[in-house]
Amino acid sequence: MVATDLLTQSVVNGLLLGGIYALAALGLSLVFGIMDIVNLAHGHMLMVGAYIAILLFTATGITPVVGMLLAMVLMFGLGVLLQKVLLKHVVDEGIEQPIIVLFGLALILQNLGRVLLGGDARTADIGLPGSGIDVGLAYMSFPRTVTFVIAVLLIVLTWAFLQYTKTGQAIRATAQNRTAAKYMGIDTDQIYVITLGIGTALAGAAGALLSMLFPIDPYVGWSYLLKTFAVVVLGGVGSVIGTLVGGLVLGVSENLGALYLGGGYRNVVSLLIFLVVLLVKPEGLFGGSGGGE
Amino acid sequence: MALLEKAPGESLATDRRVQGLGVLAVLWLVTVPFTTTDSLTGLILTGLVFVMLGVSWNLLAGYAGQISLGHAAFFGMGAFVSAWLTTPSAAGFPGSIELPLLVAIPIGALASALIALVIGPVIFRLTGHYFAIGTLALAAVIELVMLDRRDLTGGATGYYVNADLSIGEAISHGDVMFFLTLVATVATVVVTYLIVRGPTGLGMKAIHDDEDAASSLGVNPLKYKMYAFVASSFFAGIAGALYAHFSLYINAQSTLAVTWTVDSLVVVILGGMGTFAGPFFGAGLFLLLDNGLSAIVGGWAEAVEGILIILFIIFLPSGLYGLVDDYLVSETADTGGEMDADVADD
Repeated sequence: MVATDLLTQSVVNGLLLGGIYALAALGLSLVFGIMDIVNLAHGHMLMVGAYIAILLFTATGITPVVGMLLAMVLMFGLGVLLQKVLLKHVVDEGIEQPIIVLFGLALILQNLGRVLLGGDARTADIGLPGSGIDVGLAYMSFPRTVTFVIAVLLIVLTWAFLQYTKTGQAIRATAQNRTAAKYMGIDTDQIYVITLGIGTALAGAAGALLSMLFPIDPYVGWSYLLKTFAVVVLGGVGSVIGTLVGGLVLGVSENLGALYLGGGYRNVVSLLIFLVVLLVKPEGLFGGSGGGE
Repeated sequence: MALLEKAPGESLATDRRVQGLGVLAVLWLVTVPFTTTDSLTGLILTGLVFVMLGVSWNLLAGYAGQISLGHAAFFGMGAFVSAWLTTPSAAGFPGSIELPLLVAIPIGALASALIALVIGPVIFRLTGHYFAIGTLALAAVIELVMLDRRDLTGGATGYYVNADLSIGEAISHGDVMFFLTLVATVATVVVTYLIVRGPTGLGMKAIHDDEDAASSLGVNPLKYKMYAFVASSFFAGIAGALYAHFSLYINAQSTLAVTWTVDSLVVVILGGMGTFAGPFFGAGLFLLLDNGLSAIVGGWAEAVEGILIILFIIFLPSGLYGLVDDYLVSETADTGGEMDADVADD
């Protein structure tokens, strides 16, 4: 048997990590729900965001918390560019073309990462003073706590943006019914540009946060893509609350899997959860509407 | 050039001409091991492996419309299962299960087909994006588990395969593997041709074009998806088994890696998805790019591949074959863009 304190520590770490997974998945879920595209390059975008934070930290010592903001701005630009130059040709044209375009983009980003930064894993330190919190049975380390709080804050901000701003309402209207939204005078092409920008920026933010906790190498893209998609499937496409819960569930189950089966099975656990949920309840545990086949 | 003149509405690519070209190509390939260097023979063998991967992925994705991102798993499992049978001791299996290479290769392919047969009914509950990402996850699970089972796969160190088919001094092991690969490629191409030109191929195209409509007309989508998936996995398994016994070394990290899926995609998309001749053009161009360009672009091969598939799928979705088709075959290509039925009647 595994000792109780080890178990609670795993659960706490899993919850804290799950917050970041939820943030990463929110971007994927948003794009899927609104544009009906699974961004196969989402994990690679996360990797690029992480590298922006790492480079800024190693070059200037600026904390990745600030680097995250820079990553978000740059990645928003990348998302806008991607939609305006490439995806506008293939969005709403069936599934083959978008899948292949984004698969190609993932290859390009992975290659860029490898050539410009080398194949070795890199990481950034949080670079801020502070200490962890002891919550009795477990210990919440400082970087894990800070990144969790930031991730949840960004999720709440995104939710509020979708809920209360005019643009947010237009985005939700487009998700519900693109044609009807167009008739109401919404510039849906522009909505797609903004949506992909936000989705990409959120991936960048999650990457910057992860760079404070785990080493990042150019090949992490695929595994983060599958993890974030697992969260989307768990939470249901388009549901912000579902995504948050899905992220926490994935974080905890991954840590428990690693604890009981050994570190090598950490990723296998998340992939199996993903396949099982996809097959048993494809609309997600919290069944959102919109998006998907 | 009477050969290249055509009357209006007539096609230059008659069945007989195309078959003749195929026979000529095979005859030329037979001479390759005797007329070129070992490294060039190996290169062309790799090209044949790409043709098999492309033809098989095209059957599933181009004809049946199921965009699988897990093709590498079937290639890799074909490689590993056949390697376990020819070299059982390296995986800790008893020596008594050792089989000759010619038996081990089809068994490796059958193992891949069996995996597809078992997984198919489950994974085909997913459609569209979910199917694509489900197959990607499936391949990732298989890769991770195989990598972890160091006893069976050699882990990150890899697995050395024993095989020596050389005949005397004159014909090396690589040459024999070349002929085996050539035979397998021809068989793959002929069988796939029969499938896509027959009623099964028609069923696949029907569910590709409109699954609901086909279903309401009595075409069972799952049946045709399964045909495509099992056949496609079998061919990918052969390709993997042959490649393993040519290179004599496999590694869960590289043999099961997503790279093989990428290669299959690139071959098909450059050549023309859903066209029968596409993968041949695609494999040819890809081989040139892979070797010719690697000298120029160095470490950027992946990015070049990414850029190419993006540009092709957006601006030239019918691929290289589409270009050739416009000039040589006919004005009115069918939806698949393959050899038209009216051409065959000639």
